[in-house]
Amino acid sequence: MLTELGDAGVQILAVSPDPNQKSQELAQRLRARYRFLADGDLALTRRYGLLHARGGPRGEDVPIPTTVVIDRQGIVRWLSIGDNYQVRPDPQDVARAVRALP
Amino acid sequence: MRSYGLALLSLAVAIGGIVGYFSLLHVAAIRNHPALYLAALALAAAIAAVASWWAPRWPNLAALVFSVGLLVLGGYYNFAFARLPAAASALRVGEAAPDFTLLDAAGQPVSLASFRDRTPVVLVFYRGAW
Repeated sequence: MLTELGDAGVQILAVSPDPNQKSQELAQRLRARYRFLADGDLALTRRYGLLHARGGPRGEDVPIPTTVVIDRQGIVRWLSIGDNYQVRPDPQDVARAVRALP
Repeated sequence: MRSYGLALLSLAVAIGGIVGYFSLLHVAAIRNHPALYLAALALAAAIAAVASWWAPRWPNLAALVFSVGLLVLGGYYNFAFARLPAAASALRVGEAAPDFTLLDAAGQPVSLASFRDRTPVVLVFYRGAW
């Protein structure tokens, strides 16, 4: 998805319960365009209504994989909430949604 | 000999379908269509069923049991196990995304509102490294 969006002047925020140690180096390199945010207690995931209780491989709570495109006014313009964890949104669809923003 | 050939074909289609799907998982067009492996398993079951009907000998019957078994497992996996619960999500297209602040990998706070009037945001929720 990163290559699809490239230099489109868009900010990617990737949220997971991970404490981020693994993403550290990658995050340093991509920092300008791509930030890994730690939602360790899943408070944001819950607030957004995206919790999958005990959905993780060890029975832990995890977020439902979701991609949201938000415009410059903070309005949701495109939303893909996972309903089958084998399936991810096509990066082309995400890129198209971003390009369609005014 | 023909009956053995169909049993082997059924086996090949079933195993080929699953191995093919999982080895091509990095290709989005494949991964996003799990129906592909279900179709391969259904085809394998159909081949074995036809062979069993023509010649009910053990290779055909074994292939039938095998492919139907995999089809049931694959169907369960795709339609039950891999299903995510319906989200009672607060997000709606056309409505504001609630603001938040979280720490990034460098320990810096990042708020959604900080991008207001600057850049659009693609927000991705994922499960984290396994």
